[in-house]
Amino acid sequence: MLLNELKVGEQANILYISDDVFRTKLLEMGIMPGTLVTLHLKAPFKGPIAFSYQNTLLSIRNEDAQQISVDKLSLQA
Amino acid sequence: MKIALFGNPNTGKSTVFNLLTGLRQKIGNFPGVTVEQKSGVLHIKDASHELIDVPGVYSIYPSNREEKVVFDLLFNATESDKPQLGILVADASNLSRSLFFFSQLIDSGLPMVLVINMYDIAKKKGINIDVTALQSTFSQSPIVIMNARVGLGKERLMQAISEQLDALKVESTKVTNTLKKLSDLAGQEKEANARNTYLGTILNKVLQVKEVPVRTHPLDRWFTHPIAGYVIFASILFIIFQFVFSFAAFPMDAIELGFEWLTLWLRDILPDGPLSALICEGILPGISGVLVFIPQIGILFFFIALLEDSGYLARAVFLMDRLVRPFGLNGRSVVPLLSSMACAIPGVMATRGIPNYKERLITIFVAPLMSCSARIPVFTLLIGLVIPKMKLLGFIQLQGLVLLGLYLLGIVSALFIAWVMKLMINQEKRSYYLMEIPEFKRPLWRNIFLTVFEKIKVFTTEAGGIILAISIVLWALASYGPREQRRAAIQALKTTDTYMQGSTEEQDGLKNSVLLENSYIGIVGKGIEPMIKPIGYDWKIGIALITSFAAREVFVGSLSTIYANGGSDNDFKLSSKLKQQKNPDGTLVFTLRSGISLMVFYVYAMQCLSTLAIVKRETKSWKWPLLQVLFFGLMAYAGAWICFNI
Repeated sequence: MLLNELKVGEQANILYISDDVFRTKLLEMGIMPGTLVTLHLKAPFKGPIAFSYQNTLLSIRNEDAQQISVDKLSLQA
Repeated sequence: MKIALFGNPNTGKSTVFNLLTGLRQKIGNFPGVTVEQKSGVLHIKDASHELIDVPGVYSIYPSNREEKVVFDLLFNATESDKPQLGILVADASNLSRSLFFFSQLIDSGLPMVLVINMYDIAKKKGINIDVTALQSTFSQSPIVIMNARVGLGKERLMQAISEQLDALKVESTKVTNTLKKLSDLAGQEKEANARNTYLGTILNKVLQVKEVPVRTHPLDRWFTHPIAGYVIFASILFIIFQFVFSFAAFPMDAIELGFEWLTLWLRDILPDGPLSALICEGILPGISGVLVFIPQIGILFFFIALLEDSGYLARAVFLMDRLVRPFGLNGRSVVPLLSSMACAIPGVMATRGIPNYKERLITIFVAPLMSCSARIPVFTLLIGLVIPKMKLLGFIQLQGLVLLGLYLLGIVSALFIAWVMKLMINQEKRSYYLMEIPEFKRPLWRNIFLTVFEKIKVFTTEAGGIILAISIVLWALASYGPREQRRAAIQALKTTDTYMQGSTEEQDGLKNSVLLENSYIGIVGKGIEPMIKPIGYDWKIGIALITSFAAREVFVGSLSTIYANGGSDNDFKLSSKLKQQKNPDGTLVFTLRSGISLMVFYVYAMQCLSTLAIVKRETKSWKWPLLQVLFFGLMAYAGAWICFNI
């Protein structure tokens, strides 16, 4: 599943990022396969999404979020 | 010595910079490029050093123009431009990400000081850093714990810098640069992976994180809500505009009044002649014309800085990005464009937050199309002149509706041009919108005050000169003309009945009118009559068009002089006079068509010297302001022609 398909509050591990440039950019920010992310906010009209990793809330555009495949964590209470 | 201040975005780097340099800041360019460089003076033990504020990035390897300056500063700068020492500001809550950049800098051979900022907040989140262990890993670089927002750790940082500088003097053995000048993506990715693995082992030892799930701040639900979010954003803007319009008027009036007094006083003590005229009618009004913008710039930037520093601005950008993207704009373009509805100058200056160069350029280009407050006197005069006072459906004022229409025309045109530009300008490199949404913070007055101060300083010192020079030229062209022609015109005037029967006041008015008509600007105004005839204007309007190139509101004053209204403050008198103006063939000059044509002309035409000067300042080139004059001029003419002829 893709990052933008997560619902607000859902957690996931990153599987891979398809675009080369974007992948390297995120890697330098500490986002890579295995990183745990939580979806926090979605802007209206398929606007940007915001997810947290480590202690950062980062926003990216919806179409860029589609480059990121994730493995959703099954909900724990 | 040159010391460079590095850091990821949102680590409090600017706060550290402001804390260390205070008012001793100046703005220049990074060597060879048009990216702005902020630097300040740092005094340590009787010696002063230059502290350079480097743009906030995550890695040495660049992915856009702004980031390239970081790479160039380290690898491609001349010896004199190269920093001898680096300080990296790390957010304690995000130590691993900061260490990535920090270790790259160390590998580049630059002696470093590491600042761990906002440790108090991190501790509350359950993060514990073993600073001793970290220090032994990076034994060459002193580590300083700071809380820059409250000024904690400043002395310790100064001490550490001083020690590093002393060490530099002693040890001539420079650390070698082991960092590769990577330019290929695959290599960069490999390097980043290796670095992350290496840092991972270090962080395992020094970092203890209690797993506390990050929660969304309850306010964020509201700020980004599909309905409430927009309502809140609109309300905040509404409040800001209220302040700009109601509060800026007082200091603006005071500045103008002060200069009127000064002019009167100087006119008294200076001997009559060209010098007195130059000072009292050319230079002083020119300076006043620059200073009068300061209240608007100050108030707008006070609020913009407040929104930015508190963290709200990032939410607004997040919310608005999707709405303006189709037009080639960025969520960050929204506040600058809306500010332009008060005044395009602070609007253009506020575009500096837009990270993408193309999006920033488009925003700057279309900002003057947003109807600013200087158009209001022109619109009010013309609407009162040609739009009948009537109500539609019993309650909608037609005049108000037309004014709203003019504003909407400006907004729609700005978006349309932005969209066209999006298709025309090629992107240098694919860019991503990656924006951290910072936590809410209590705004720091020092940061806000320094922003306001800096913006006012940039405007007066860098745009002020151009504005002053051109306004003096315009004044000279309006007050001088071929001597013989003027004398003959005055002679002719004195034989007319209206002149001989008029009071002294009326005679003065008529004289001024004739003098303006026979000035160089008047001659040009008459010369362009064939050009403006097709859009419904006579040469008198032509003169007002040319004089209002300095600033739109001058239009009203110029018409007043030309029609010998005697003093520009009597709008009602001017309006009734204009209503009676007839063309040589007996038709009225100001009809519904010519009036609307003029209004549309003012929606588009780039009639603002100060905006042009600031666009030149922000784009570092005359290309864009000249394109604005040309392009918006053509649009104004075409729009006016359509309104007059259809």
